[in-house]
Amino acid sequence: MNTVPFARRNLLQDRRRAALAIGGLSVALVLVLLLGGVFSGALGQVTNYLRHLPVDVIVSQRDVKTMHMSASALPPETVNEVARVPGVAHARAIRFTTNTIGAGNRRQLSYVIGYDTRSSLGGPHRLTTGHAPRVGETVLDDVAADQLHVKVGDDVNVLGRTFRISGLSTGGTSITNTTAFIRTEDFAARRGTAVSYILVSAQPGVSGGELVRRIQATLPTTTAQTRSDMVSQEGHIVRDMSADIMRMMNVIAFVIALAVVALTLFTATNAKLREYAVVKALGARPRRLVGVVMSQAAWTIGLAFVTSIALTFGIGVVVGAVSPTVRIVVEPGAVLRLGLVTVVIGLVGALIPLRRVLHLDPNSVFRRSA
Amino acid sequence: MFRATGRVGLARRDLVADWRRLLVGVLAIGLAMMLILLLGGLWQGVKTQASIYPDHAGAQLFVTQRGVANFAGETSTLPRSTVGIVRRAAGVNWAAAVRGQFVVFDLHAQKVAAYVVGYVPNGRGGPWQLAEGRAIRSDGEVVVDRSLADRHGLGIGELLSVGGQSFRIVGLSSGTSATMTGFVFLSHDAADRLLQAPGTTSYVLVGTKTPGATAARLVKLGLTVFTRQQLAANDRALAIGIFGAPITLMVGVAAVAGTLIVALTVYAAVTDRRREYGVIKAIGAGRLFIVGVVVRQAIVLSLAGLAVGGVMFWLTRSLLHSWRPQFLIVITTTAVLSALIAAIVMAMLAAVLPARQVANAEPASVYRGA
Repeated sequence: MNTVPFARRNLLQDRRRAALAIGGLSVALVLVLLLGGVFSGALGQVTNYLRHLPVDVIVSQRDVKTMHMSASALPPETVNEVARVPGVAHARAIRFTTNTIGAGNRRQLSYVIGYDTRSSLGGPHRLTTGHAPRVGETVLDDVAADQLHVKVGDDVNVLGRTFRISGLSTGGTSITNTTAFIRTEDFAARRGTAVSYILVSAQPGVSGGELVRRIQATLPTTTAQTRSDMVSQEGHIVRDMSADIMRMMNVIAFVIALAVVALTLFTATNAKLREYAVVKALGARPRRLVGVVMSQAAWTIGLAFVTSIALTFGIGVVVGAVSPTVRIVVEPGAVLRLGLVTVVIGLVGALIPLRRVLHLDPNSVFRRSA
Repeated sequence: MFRATGRVGLARRDLVADWRRLLVGVLAIGLAMMLILLLGGLWQGVKTQASIYPDHAGAQLFVTQRGVANFAGETSTLPRSTVGIVRRAAGVNWAAAVRGQFVVFDLHAQKVAAYVVGYVPNGRGGPWQLAEGRAIRSDGEVVVDRSLADRHGLGIGELLSVGGQSFRIVGLSSGTSATMTGFVFLSHDAADRLLQAPGTTSYVLVGTKTPGATAARLVKLGLTVFTRQQLAANDRALAIGIFGAPITLMVGVAAVAGTLIVALTVYAAVTDRRREYGVIKAIGAGRLFIVGVVVRQAIVLSLAGLAVGGVMFWLTRSLLHSWRPQFLIVITTTAVLSALIAAIVMAMLAAVLPARQVANAEPASVYRGA
């Protein structure tokens, strides 16, 4: 006698019930994947600007290791001091703040980055249309331009004055904000001469790590980090800020999933108690019955697991189309973790039906109903 | 002839026939309802906390840099002399300069976002409620939000490093945290040095008995002025823009999970009693009666789930309050009514499949063996 078909048929004989059970469990698992996906998406978006900077080291105010939700202020002369550190090929400053960009009644929270347009370092990673900003001009992200209903040539309010859009860039909008680029001189005219971050490239043969050590030794009142370290620090903000809420939601979603698995296996087993009694009366050992229930659990969680991943990807596509600032990214690690926890949920959820089946009286088969 | 009596009893008896299934079903629905209530409460809390500073700073008007319409999220820079201009305006009782800026601390290898407020010691704009210690008196002192301090083991007398400078914690404030951040209060001059922005401020807080007329006078002076209510509304709108889509998505998924769980529980109850429904049909019950029994089961189950969910929500809220007090969970009459409506809508949707199942049951099935 084959074990698997019995368990599977038991579970899938009533397709509506199976669909409801697998659907309920899948949606509970989607809750876990979705929240993680939103934060993973935000993490990718938040680090996008830094990841695309073609530099080795970034220098900021002491103790400031991030851009997001941060403010760094350095005296302008720090740029030349950094440039004089042995091993530095070139050093360029950007000015940075968070502000809203306004067009008519529409407003969008934005990083405002003032960069040196002659070197273009620190400017938009890729222009989809138009040109780099000149005096009184700005480059906006294409998603923000859509949301503000503006295009190249239109006026927007940046840092309290009107700027004409000279071009559109891409990839600079996250769940929290977008990115606007202006000339560093325009930035200084509105916000003072302090610079925010210094972007440093190393000479050939000098590693980023070595350059960081040299800059820190020369300028101890600053913070120097390799670009990859700063990307990692930036990612930590999203991870650390969301850790508590993620933990809380995950626990709730997992308990819901556990309850659904228990409910599914319990009802599936309950509906077939008579058949289990028959199997027992025919001489099936407890191990065989345990195997049947566990197979049912495996089928339920397996199908729900696959469905939840498909659903999450589907929701991600729909959300991306409806709300382009929200990006849902399902990481392989998250899927693996979910898989492991789902197995635990299946094992725990199978306990009640297992107990019922093992204590079943084989004689009940000879009665009218079990 | 069949008489439609004892309808409620039939629905109830069907449900309670298997108390384990009922228990797990109600628990699962309760969890989904709790999640809906919790997300709704968190959402309300996020909106309330988003405008915490404008709501509590005690000012009737806020002067900002042109183009800046928020307290949270944006950075505003005004000449410090603006305070004097405002003070001289008719109708102004008091005016105070306040610097506001997000910062990210590294505490115990964790990134902690905080909102730093620089104010003039003994002046307006500082912490509105001190839980412990005292307000700042000099540039080297800070008052830290109590929940932020508790989370990271900070106490009065300890040093906190901000932007490369050390500050001694002299007080802990309460009611000064937002969902993912807490407030840190220091002197305006210290904040100026941190941001390398001497001679400037971020906002001017204005106390007046005639907000409308005074605002009009200040606008005539070329200043950008918001009433407390306007600035608070703008801050809430900003939070809604950032958190709205993910939270709505999560509430939607939780509602779908709840619906599927109700459907699964009622469906299991109905299919297990298919023969009994056949009997009822055979003795003359109409489709409407049988569908009514199913719908009542779904509604009873949903409402029981809502009650259980309400209790679980209350417990979780209390736990969260002591574990992570920065998560403000606000329950409103609207939220409770929404949950009630959601429970009934979920029940109606969930009843569709099992109702179809029993409505199509053959009365002849009663004469068969099973």
